[in-house]
Amino acid sequence: MKKRISRRFIVSGLTAVMAVGLLTGCGSSGKSDTIEIGLATPLTGASAQDGQAIENGVELAVKQANDAGGIDGKQIEVVVEDDKGDASEAATVANMLVQNDNIVGVVGHFNSSCTLAGATIYNDAGIVQISPGSSAEAVSEAGDYTFRTITTDAVQGRYLAEWCVNDLGYHNIAVLYENDDYGLGLADVIQRETEALGATVVAREAYEVNQTDFSTVLTKVAASDADVMIIGGLYNETALIAKQMGDNGLEGMQIMGVDAIYSDALIELGGDAVNGIKLTAYFSDASDSEVTQSFIKAYTDEYGEAPGTYAAYAYDAANIILDAVANVGTDRAAIRDYIADLKDFDGVTGITSFDENGDVIKEPLRMEIINGAFETVDM
Amino acid sequence: MFVQQLINGITVGGIYALIALGYTMVYGILKIVNFAHGDVFMIGGFMGLILAQTTNLPIWIAYPLAMLITALIGVLIERICYRPIRLHGADALAILISALGVSIFLENFAQLVWGTETHAYVQKIQRTAYNIAGITLSNIQIGVIVLCIILMIVLYLVVNKTKMGMAMRATSQSITSAQLMGINTEKVIALTFGVGSALACVAGILVGTYYDAVYPLIGYSYGLKAFAAAILGGIGSVPGAMLGGFLLGIVETLGAGYISTGYRDAFAFGILILVLLFRPSGLLGKKHVDKV
Repeated sequence: MKKRISRRFIVSGLTAVMAVGLLTGCGSSGKSDTIEIGLATPLTGASAQDGQAIENGVELAVKQANDAGGIDGKQIEVVVEDDKGDASEAATVANMLVQNDNIVGVVGHFNSSCTLAGATIYNDAGIVQISPGSSAEAVSEAGDYTFRTITTDAVQGRYLAEWCVNDLGYHNIAVLYENDDYGLGLADVIQRETEALGATVVAREAYEVNQTDFSTVLTKVAASDADVMIIGGLYNETALIAKQMGDNGLEGMQIMGVDAIYSDALIELGGDAVNGIKLTAYFSDASDSEVTQSFIKAYTDEYGEAPGTYAAYAYDAANIILDAVANVGTDRAAIRDYIADLKDFDGVTGITSFDENGDVIKEPLRMEIINGAFETVDM
Repeated sequence: MFVQQLINGITVGGIYALIALGYTMVYGILKIVNFAHGDVFMIGGFMGLILAQTTNLPIWIAYPLAMLITALIGVLIERICYRPIRLHGADALAILISALGVSIFLENFAQLVWGTETHAYVQKIQRTAYNIAGITLSNIQIGVIVLCIILMIVLYLVVNKTKMGMAMRATSQSITSAQLMGINTEKVIALTFGVGSALACVAGILVGTYYDAVYPLIGYSYGLKAFAAAILGGIGSVPGAMLGGFLLGIVETLGAGYISTGYRDAFAFGILILVLLFRPSGLLGKKHVDKV
């Protein structure tokens, strides 16, 4: 999914760095009766809403573990730090977290820039970091102790390509993408993967975010031999594309997309026109997975609202750390080795394993909009 | 594909032209750029949506009513935010800054009231697409083009054939002289803002109906393109704004269609730069000589 990198709060970040300098040495030390999990997430700033969802997901996982008697009779606590979605602030909170000897692992950060800023510190300290929200390619290379429960765009693009070409049999592909790093990256992945499967990209057209007039783009698609449109972008533009297809001679063409278009806003804005759109997603309330459904119920009972994608990724991240501690104890290196070798962890965002870079490998759900609702489908 | 893209270009160009008229008329009379005009277009779009959504009025009452409300908002903006500065004798720069302030206010107001998300438009007209010799045309697209042309002809006739139009032209030549001739220039200025805003409202409703979307920041991109169209045609010239709008729409659509969709906006502003290099006063703009 798309991540906005905030460059704000640099000044406050620097101030905080200096403040931490003064406080160094105050970190707690020695073993105690509780196990602590670090959480570094933006609770203020532009990404605060997602950051709060992440905190909710982690707190729920820990609460459930404590209610079940904790680990080895020890209760688990969450140490929450606000990174404000700002990279320099992220380095500050990472330093604070690694100085606490009771912390067995950290869930964080959300923004890719923050995850990368923290990664050096966690890797030097030898403490596991699992990001619930950073999908940037660079996170793959961040170090042995850096993992993530969200997949890279490349993984999803590859899966979508297989579905589109091998299973649905589309061979003439039109790729429509938003004209920025995110859309361009996705378009590249989709083109590479579909062509590797023997399909041809017959149209590759860019549009601006917030564009309203898609007639030019759609006319070009209509003039090509495309039999499917894959969107490398978000839900607003996808809805408008779906609605304007009819006027431009593309009535009934299949549209496919990734989890960036998985939003109720797609259906609200698109109405009947978005029925039949096929997309990949990792977390959905339409999933028939038992763990997913019981998570949705527990989360809704606890917070009075349904969980979003990031709450689910965070819940999985916290549970993976708790699972490691339950199996190998609190030794940080042992935890890292356990997670690196983790296979087929049954999470709420799918069956999870990690590759050698600490990137998650899991199969997305296949979804289709049927009668104005997201449904899981086989084809 | 050429004819199809040409039609797409004329459609979006007509919308640019309608908005550009508001820029050019205000500039013609007051020599200021009303940077809030793009947001008046947005407010007009929302007015049409809200009236069609919350009342059961048929569109031939609801949409003219939306135009009237938007026109009043335009007049009010001039009255509250520009006139006091103008009558104080401040230079155009002060009004420009006030216009930017109004723009920011309207955008934030819209986001507070209607939320930041994109709204689907109420479709009161059944959409039918016709396929003529491989070219797809919808009834709404035809309606957009026809309505834009009719409104432009009406405006042209009003400005050139009526007494009020004569007063407008006189005011644009010199406010002081017009006043000496007994013209109520404040009334003319208010009327200019009203007419420009009503046309922007039509553009907002057309964008809403044709592209099926309206959102609080929509005025930014359309306003910028329309402003470019006004400059391209020669700011201050009514036929210039019309020509500039259509030309901009056609150039950006054909450029995007035949070269690259990623450079759509680059074509729009590229043609502007190209024309200004050779004709600094725009295509139909009058040569302006500042006497020292």
